[in-house]
Amino acid sequence: MIDLFTGILSTAFLAGGVLALGALGEVLAERVGVINLGLEGLMALGGISAIITVSQYPVPTAGLLVAIIVGLVFGSLFAAGTVLLRANQTLCGLALTILGSGLAAAVGRPFSGQPARATFDSIAIPLLSKIPVLGESFFSQNLLLYIIWIVLPILIHWLLFSTRHGINMRAVGESPAAADAVGIPVTPIRFCYVTAGASLASAAGGYLTLAFVPSWSDGIVAGRGWIAVALVIFAGYRPYRVAFGALLFGIITALGFVGQARNWPITPALLSMFPYLGTIAFMIVPALIWKRMHRRLAAPAALGVGYFRDQD
Amino acid sequence: MAAAGHNVLHLVWEVIDSSFGTQVGLEDLGLLLSPLVLTGLAAAVTLRMGLWNIGAEGQFYAGAVCATAIGLFYSGPSPLMLVAMAIAGVIGGAAWICIPAVARAFLEVNEIITTLLMNFVAILLVNALCTGPWRDKAQAITSATAAIPYKVPELAGDLHWGLGVAVLLAIAMALILTFTKWGFEVRIAGGNREAALYAGVPVQKRLLQVMLLSGGIAGLAGMLEVAGTVHHLQGGISNNFGYLGVVVAVIASGAPLAVIAAGLLMAVILNGGIVLQSHGVSTYEVLSLTGLVLFFVAAGEQLAHYQLTTLAPRQPLP
Repeated sequence: MIDLFTGILSTAFLAGGVLALGALGEVLAERVGVINLGLEGLMALGGISAIITVSQYPVPTAGLLVAIIVGLVFGSLFAAGTVLLRANQTLCGLALTILGSGLAAAVGRPFSGQPARATFDSIAIPLLSKIPVLGESFFSQNLLLYIIWIVLPILIHWLLFSTRHGINMRAVGESPAAADAVGIPVTPIRFCYVTAGASLASAAGGYLTLAFVPSWSDGIVAGRGWIAVALVIFAGYRPYRVAFGALLFGIITALGFVGQARNWPITPALLSMFPYLGTIAFMIVPALIWKRMHRRLAAPAALGVGYFRDQD
Repeated sequence: MAAAGHNVLHLVWEVIDSSFGTQVGLEDLGLLLSPLVLTGLAAAVTLRMGLWNIGAEGQFYAGAVCATAIGLFYSGPSPLMLVAMAIAGVIGGAAWICIPAVARAFLEVNEIITTLLMNFVAILLVNALCTGPWRDKAQAITSATAAIPYKVPELAGDLHWGLGVAVLLAIAMALILTFTKWGFEVRIAGGNREAALYAGVPVQKRLLQVMLLSGGIAGLAGMLEVAGTVHHLQGGISNNFGYLGVVVAVIASGAPLAVIAAGLLMAVILNGGIVLQSHGVSTYEVLSLTGLVLFFVAAGEQLAHYQLTTLAPRQPLP
């Protein structure tokens, strides 16, 4: 029983890491008022660029770095469209998803199905890995997990809620006109954080192909980008909740894997539908039960709205 | 594509020639056009309501599944069966969008994400059916259902009446949106929700109706693809038509008649992709090209409305 629990949790940390990383990036973008629906495409691009990099130069960190750079490039393209040109954010996000998924699949054909030539290896932390369940499931895995589950949530929470700069960021997301009036540089802040968020999403793709799966195949992202976007809404745009939610979704995914491995009497197809159906349920149920809480965890007021100085 | 080392001008000529130059090319174009117009319409009606139905892909599959179920397991005279399959397709598509629609109308749950996630469920369902219970044992290699005996009658050559249905539906939608009270209410609710509520439009009800209608149209597209073009159910039958429909609707800016023209543009691009495959250009490159087109449409739409305005100088206070 303990073994089963440890196994589920260990897979949950691994699988949820992709969602946590992507969703934390999305939190950055949405907090400054830009909804990035291109996460799916960014993850695909990050995943394939990491795989290609390690096939030439087998160092996993290099692969992740290239994924981040690719994310910066495509993120700035997206930010140029949404923030500078103020084009429709939904549309640009869909375009990025289609472009990213198509491009990654086209470039990645020669690499399809091959295992990654270098991966992030698991390292057991001396003392902590002896803790009963958590030791084996969390402290004996690759080092990226600490960044995803501990460093980044704390860092982003601190940035958003404990610094002057974070207040400025949130002001830009809630009311860009008011922020502009007190001298906060609205456009630069939006541009920077949308791009930074995109690089995190792309890094999530790199993590997916170098640490979690670790290989490339067509359609490997399989909706994780969209689940990450949903997770941000479910978590009320707060970094700690995002991490917690990602773990929850990781557990749902892990249950699917464990169920398949142990021949539970449920069809495998239904088990693979779990994450998607679970996500939809997690979007609907909170709205159904806690109407007031739903309002407290509401989206930034200016989310999805382009900002024009001198107009409304 | 030039970066991939192809002679672009030569390829462009090849695409145009093979799409419009031959009878077969035109038929293929028409076969691509009808599902694109239908999924485009599905996305367009929701756009008019200020909503996004990104789940036409899933509703397409759902419609195909329901139509296949009728076609495989019941028998009767062909016209009757086709009507039954069409109804099943519409119901299947509408059922697939039901949960996102209700959640959107009454709980304000973001419909973009819920409709999209249902796509993955639909794809898994179709794959499970085609490799499992519905698999045709006679064909050992492919994982598809047995052939469905009922076929949509042909219009010309391989081209079937699905295109006629699609075009008629586009015209009907244009008339409904322009001339009926229902269409007017949908348009003002999409334009300004508060104003519509104030004017006494039952916005939630219209929201629900528009989304169900959208799902139904996408489901019909799935039924026509099964009964008209492919003649059996298989994984990947939707060929990204659902996603491309969103692109079509956006290019047409939600106007049903413009959907036909935008659908034609997309069909040429797609058909071009099929032609180009023989030159070593993959469908994925075509897909990423579509993404780029969408991005430029988004940027262009904004720039087209861009104008320099000068503010009137403030009057000094007396």
